[in-house]
Amino acid sequence: MRLTFTLNSEAVSLDSIAEDMLLLDLLRDTLGLTGTKRGCETGTCGMCSVLVDSKLTRSCRTPVTKIAGHTVTTIEGMLGPDGELCDLQRAFLEYGAVQCGFCSPAMVLAGEALLRRTLTPSREEIRRAISGILCRCTGYQQIVDAIEATAHHRRGRQDATGGSEAQ
Amino acid sequence: MSNLRYVGNPSLQNVDGADKVSGRAKYVCDMVVPGMLIAKVLRSPLPHARILKLDPAPALAVPGVKAVITHADFVDDGNFGWPVKDAYVLAVNKVRHVGEPVAAVAAETEAAAIAGLNAVVVDYEPLPVISTVDQAMAPDAPQIPEVSPTGKGNLCNTHILRNGDPAPLLTEAPVRFEATYEMPHQEHAYMETEGALAIPEPDGGVTLYANNQSPHINRDIAAQVLGLPTNQVRVIQPPIGGAFGGKDEVLYQTSAQAAKLAMLAGRPVKLIFTRSESMTASYKRQAMRSHIVLGAEADGTLRAAKVDLTVDNGAYASGTPLASWRATMHAAGGYRYTAVHVDMQSVYTNNGYSGAFRGFGNTQAGAAVELAIDELAERLGLDPLEYRLQNCLREGDTTMTGDLLDQAVGLTDCLEWIRDRSEWTEKRAEYAAQPEGSPTRRGIGVACYFHGSGLGGEGEDFATATLRIEEDTSITLTSGLTDFGQGSRTVFALLAAETLGVDIDRVRVLRPDTQTTLDSGPTVASRASIVGGNAVRVTTEKVALLLNLAAADLLRCDPRQLIRDGECYVGPDETPVSFEAVVGHAREMGLQLSAQGRWQIRPIEWNFETGTGEPYFCYVFGAQVAEVEVNRRTGRSRVRKIWAAHDAGKILFPKGALGQMYGGIAQGLGFALMENFRFKDGVPQTLSFKQYRLPRATDVPEIEGTYIQTAGAIGPYGAKNLAEPVMIGTAPAIANAFAQATGIRVRGFPLPRVKG
Repeated sequence: MRLTFTLNSEAVSLDSIAEDMLLLDLLRDTLGLTGTKRGCETGTCGMCSVLVDSKLTRSCRTPVTKIAGHTVTTIEGMLGPDGELCDLQRAFLEYGAVQCGFCSPAMVLAGEALLRRTLTPSREEIRRAISGILCRCTGYQQIVDAIEATAHHRRGRQDATGGSEAQ
Repeated sequence: MSNLRYVGNPSLQNVDGADKVSGRAKYVCDMVVPGMLIAKVLRSPLPHARILKLDPAPALAVPGVKAVITHADFVDDGNFGWPVKDAYVLAVNKVRHVGEPVAAVAAETEAAAIAGLNAVVVDYEPLPVISTVDQAMAPDAPQIPEVSPTGKGNLCNTHILRNGDPAPLLTEAPVRFEATYEMPHQEHAYMETEGALAIPEPDGGVTLYANNQSPHINRDIAAQVLGLPTNQVRVIQPPIGGAFGGKDEVLYQTSAQAAKLAMLAGRPVKLIFTRSESMTASYKRQAMRSHIVLGAEADGTLRAAKVDLTVDNGAYASGTPLASWRATMHAAGGYRYTAVHVDMQSVYTNNGYSGAFRGFGNTQAGAAVELAIDELAERLGLDPLEYRLQNCLREGDTTMTGDLLDQAVGLTDCLEWIRDRSEWTEKRAEYAAQPEGSPTRRGIGVACYFHGSGLGGEGEDFATATLRIEEDTSITLTSGLTDFGQGSRTVFALLAAETLGVDIDRVRVLRPDTQTTLDSGPTVASRASIVGGNAVRVTTEKVALLLNLAAADLLRCDPRQLIRDGECYVGPDETPVSFEAVVGHAREMGLQLSAQGRWQIRPIEWNFETGTGEPYFCYVFGAQVAEVEVNRRTGRSRVRKIWAAHDAGKILFPKGALGQMYGGIAQGLGFALMENFRFKDGVPQTLSFKQYRLPRATDVPEIEGTYIQTAGAIGPYGAKNLAEPVMIGTAPAIANAFAQATGIRVRGFPLPRVKG
């Protein structure tokens, strides 16, 4: 089948895509976007999470047919035009939220999904927002710190621009 | 030491964090090379069986299959293992656990590889399954190993500790406590599964990318089983998605399999585990039984302990002979005793196999004794935290092994810090007075621990480093020790920058590559910062000395007159000269601005026969308080908060050190509350993250942690180790809090659900 969707702000149109293909395989194997990780086969670890429109979605459980006409954001799409880290990624470094790094792409996207919904999340809300993604290294605390700090900064910027800017 | 720029700097960030958080880091599973084949491994479905027939040939007839291997393709059947050489790259004659690799296939596609596996002919004759340590030790038990390492059937190894004679003290003790604790298997559950990519080289050698912890050991074993000289096997370390002790032996098997397939096929071969394969085939934390007898005076003063440990090491020894020694050295905890005996026996079963896992035996043994100490305090009618303060190790004491603590001991500081920060005394009283009928009940509990640093009596404790100043004055640093997420690259970079007085951005730490880095022993035992860090320090000092000479020559002064202003060198005339100018001048002087260095801990002597000696050169200490709430309707326990303090000497990389603490605590929380790798008649029961539950962000509470920075430790700038021991206190602190909440004293993990 022919698949058309928006990937990291660019229109993508692909031919000869198998209908039963999973989004994770499309991203990793067909498109070479290996920032999205494979961690299990049961949809429980969350390593493969991406944003579909602004919703955090497990790509290992998403047939490619479901994304036709939609917008997909992977970790590669969080970077600026020159490959620079976004504010949330920088916060992960500033707050020590990265150890082995295998869950980091998914965690950043989980944080981004939350911050697109609200810039005033409680720490409990942040924990719930990332609870679909396992991390075996960090104990989560510094990840929560990083997302909380980014919410604070984006709120500050939003106030400064009179609320006209989402991020 | 007050002018330190990087050591202990709280704003310093992980040097490879940007690669990871951007998704750019290429783990072995992300690697693709032209002509790459996919490998799959045929694994035993049975816990114990004789292999009557094994014919790999039909696999080669399957379209797309390019190579198939069994044990017969390796030198000496692919036998490896240290200190007990009982492991094989692929099973020989028997399978001894579910998931044991039997054959491996490389093919053009994953589907073809699986079809190839299905074509391999294997006939098994099931053998009696040994699923408990008691069955294993029965006189008529079938023997699991072909050759018993002890000559006593399934007994894999024993350790003893003999410090005085506890028997008369225990007989006479006014208060005596005795109990048996059973700690379960635990899965490492690193988020990145095991994997290797092997590329055959034109000279007949092979290059391996593998997510192993100890690349030089992997190289040596691969060379041995492949029949290659060591210098024709090259192991390159990609980023690793977590290890926690779990990426040693299983990666040696996997790497050798991929390498042999690649050499036979003449093409690159990638072998990546699925999650269920990882959970089936990887080694676990040992299940451990601690039978503990404690004797105390009427006022609570501890006098003697006798501990019997029985370890289920599963089908192969792996790291258990060493981990069980560490368990033996810690089984009575961080307290003052007059006499202690420990007897450990480790036995083979068909319950998978076990090896290294964070804490390395002390996690289980340390948890058991902390539950026992808490019960003893209760029996004595004493506050459990004050009871620990009464008996815990202080400077000048001797440890349970009789080792004199001639170092600063921060354990009382740790206990006092968590007591004060958690408002222990108030909460303990408040929760003791909770009304009977309340829908939730709370408890607060404590545990402490001590932990010998480095390898101790386990082996030669050394590391090496190389440093060179490149033509453009950037600096390249290597270590043979691996960063699998614990932050050692950052620690090495900051140590080199600090020692050389340069900006950390100049320093790039290469990941280990056996062709360019020097063997540094295994990356285990939380030894990277201490042993690897000292190697970096002494290596850097060699180059710093040369640059000082060059700067003095340039500035026409004595080297002792030099001071540094940022990167600049300043002489008596107070004109700063840049680092680049000094490097340039050094080159004109003919100095070679590169060095290699080695650092080794002074030899210590443990006599394994008599169970006496000095097991470790230094110790770390810590204590934790957990507050738990039990919902009486659902029976669920929730940890509300954890307070943690750890004496790790000088903290080098504060963000990383806190991350190690929080992460260790989360693993300890999982051990106490939900993780339990179960076998039923030798068959693993928990092979997915649905069945084996890991702590999620909503399970782990807010943690208030600190490091008690005692002075004088042997590590670089006075550092001690931290990554492993920080998890030891968590599970028993939670269980002791659970005991206050429910009145139930558990004798093992995970905690039960208690309704009503």
